[in-house]
Amino acid sequence: MNTEAVCLEIACLGKRYGSRWVFDNLSATIQQGETLVIAGPNGAGKSTLLRLLAGLEQPSAGTISYRVGKRRISPSQARQILGLVALDIRLYRELTALEHLRLFADLRGLSDDAAISGALLERVGLAERANDRVASYSSGMALRLKYALMLLHRPAILLLDEPTAMLDVGGRAMVAGLVEEQRERGIAIIATNDPRELALGDYLLNLGVTGETS
Amino acid sequence: MFSPSLWRSTWAILRKDLRAELRGRVAINTLLLFAITTVVLVSFRLGPLGISRDQRAVTSIAVLLWIAIFFAAMSGLSRSFVAEEEAGTAPLLRLAASPAAVFAGKLLYNLLLVAVLEALVVLLFAALMNLRVGNPGLFAASLAAGGVGLGVATTIIAALVARASVRGALFTVLAFPLLLPLLVVAVGATELALAGAGWSKAWPELRLLAAYVLALLAASLLLFEQVWEG
Amino acid sequence: MSTRYNQFGDMLKLLLGVWLGTVMLAMFLWVPPHEGLGNLGRIIIVHVPTAWVTVLAFLISAIYSGLYLRRRRPEHDDRALAAAEAGLLFSILATVTGSVFAKAVWGSFWNWDPRETSIFVLLLIYAAYLALRSAIEDDERRRRLAAVYSLLAFITVPFLIFVIPRIAESTLHPNCALLATSNCEGVTLGLEGSGAPKVSLLGERKVELLDIQERDGVAIARVEVTEPGATSRAILEPSINQRTGQPVEMPEIGGTRFRLKLERLEGERASLNIEQPGSSGLLRNSRTLLTFLASLAGFTGLFYWIYRVRAAVLGIQGRLAEEGVL
Repeated sequence: MNTEAVCLEIACLGKRYGSRWVFDNLSATIQQGETLVIAGPNGAGKSTLLRLLAGLEQPSAGTISYRVGKRRISPSQARQILGLVALDIRLYRELTALEHLRLFADLRGLSDDAAISGALLERVGLAERANDRVASYSSGMALRLKYALMLLHRPAILLLDEPTAMLDVGGRAMVAGLVEEQRERGIAIIATNDPRELALGDYLLNLGVTGETS
Repeated sequence: MFSPSLWRSTWAILRKDLRAELRGRVAINTLLLFAITTVVLVSFRLGPLGISRDQRAVTSIAVLLWIAIFFAAMSGLSRSFVAEEEAGTAPLLRLAASPAAVFAGKLLYNLLLVAVLEALVVLLFAALMNLRVGNPGLFAASLAAGGVGLGVATTIIAALVARASVRGALFTVLAFPLLLPLLVVAVGATELALAGAGWSKAWPELRLLAAYVLALLAASLLLFEQVWEG
Repeated sequence: MSTRYNQFGDMLKLLLGVWLGTVMLAMFLWVPPHEGLGNLGRIIIVHVPTAWVTVLAFLISAIYSGLYLRRRRPEHDDRALAAAEAGLLFSILATVTGSVFAKAVWGSFWNWDPRETSIFVLLLIYAAYLALRSAIEDDERRRRLAAVYSLLAFITVPFLIFVIPRIAESTLHPNCALLATSNCEGVTLGLEGSGAPKVSLLGERKVELLDIQERDGVAIARVEVTEPGATSRAILEPSINQRTGQPVEMPEIGGTRFRLKLERLEGERASLNIEQPGSSGLLRNSRTLLTFLASLAGFTGLFYWIYRVRAAVLGIQGRLAEEGVL
């Protein structure tokens, strides 16, 4: 998509729901070619942090800034170079895998060539179920389709929430391959507690229950 | 603002919603059943042999017609946004589509639903309530103008309600005060059309409806991003 | 410094209390009864200022909502909310006082008069605005969505003010007995052979001219008035001074404060119309006018005080919540 280097900076970030701070004073910088792993117990705010990075929620304090080449870009522009794969983001149950790919190609202004869609579904292992509705998919298959949608626009910033929680051995290998590929394309941020995935990252950001970082 | 990519995204969202609706038929079934229930209930006592036979009952007929349309609309038109939030698909759309395309797509979808709903209610009134229209062109214009207003208002309010954690009857509570001017004028215009008044007589009503629609549409376009994001 | 400010604030509060108390006393003791409405006219001194404050609160709420969306400062939202809460309070007051007045003067608690309608819609909007707020947990989202709703309401409400009087005129049956603002033209009735009809409709009432008598330059028309649905009928005798053309007697029409007025008499033709109370200069009396203006100032002050205190409380609550105390 672009060859310019991306950089993501989190400065003194905090998020609060009501009077409860999920985390506070979080700072980190991730540069082109790097992979960050976010770990921490349940409820420490791993998914929340990813949602903040994706611009789906607003921080209560601190800032998130994205840089592409020499330019600083706004969160709404960042969406075009962002890809978020998470279990709590659902697909349209009434649509098939091919219809999903076509919809997102239209929304993102990409070509909706059948050959490209076919290749993507092949890659995530859904080629045979391309014309089945998502309602009939297992949760692992739905997750595979989310990877296909993400690959459609090849984001420079890849955000993965529990990337292999529902996947089989083959699926885990596919994700590991994707993360490795991402080093060429930009940066990857993975939220996980799976020991096998901790090894994927260059850095580890550990969210404690009380919010202090280590 | 109206770039080719915006049109493409808008159509894609409309197509997706229509396809999902045709396969699930949740909104359309609710709308139609609600409309049928209302009209049938009204028609039991006021129907073919009741007040509707009276040529002078145009006011009652116009009011009942809009009551049927309004309440059916309240039952079904919040689906477009509420379903996205309830099914957890909204973040997907938020990440991929521009807010303008989402609003335009959902607006077109709601307008289509209103058109289907109005057509059904008019058919039912023709069958069960002795509907006699003095000025069919004006009748169609008043339904169209009122329907567009209803579509715009329900779209932006559905977007608001979808973001609330407790939804319940919130949609109707929020929609009614905003729709009251529209409904009053639409009933007036429909009444004139039923009584066979000329276009010139209904011109002030139609102009007001148009102004209302434009003002609400402009405000919705400006404010939608604030509702949808974050 | 702050204690001096507090003392000053206490003085203002005391002054406001004394001021409003004086207005209330003046309203009952000093203001003369209105010529058309009698003691009922006094309600105007409370009713109109509360209605004015309702509209003012709506305006303030919308302005601060807009500011909030632009600047995202929580104190702007606190002000918008405080204004809306005070607005709800005053809109209820205005609706209740107005409806008592309407029952006594127009014969029913509610007539969908344009002003009644707009205040009622404001009441609904305040209620909806507060309902929306209570349905959203996240602070930032609650503020943002409430501000959007407030602005949407601000766009659509003005239509009501322009819409309803026009609609009242263009409905298929004019009903001047129900809408104080519609301009009824009245009817001309005539005795047999005069060419004018003997029976006609005035608003929703049937009127029939029975005969015309003259005594000392005053012409009296005997008119039978039948209420809608023929629930009751009465014979009224409106009269006119033929030299000056001024009406002499304007009898009240069954159970309302509307009066039947004989506007003109030409030979055997009588032009009748309905005279509305209240339209004849409620504030013409200088004592009434003065008390009214004092009341307007007092209620505006009361609103401003409630609004500032509430906004300050909301601000403190917000800060405490942020620090995790609440």
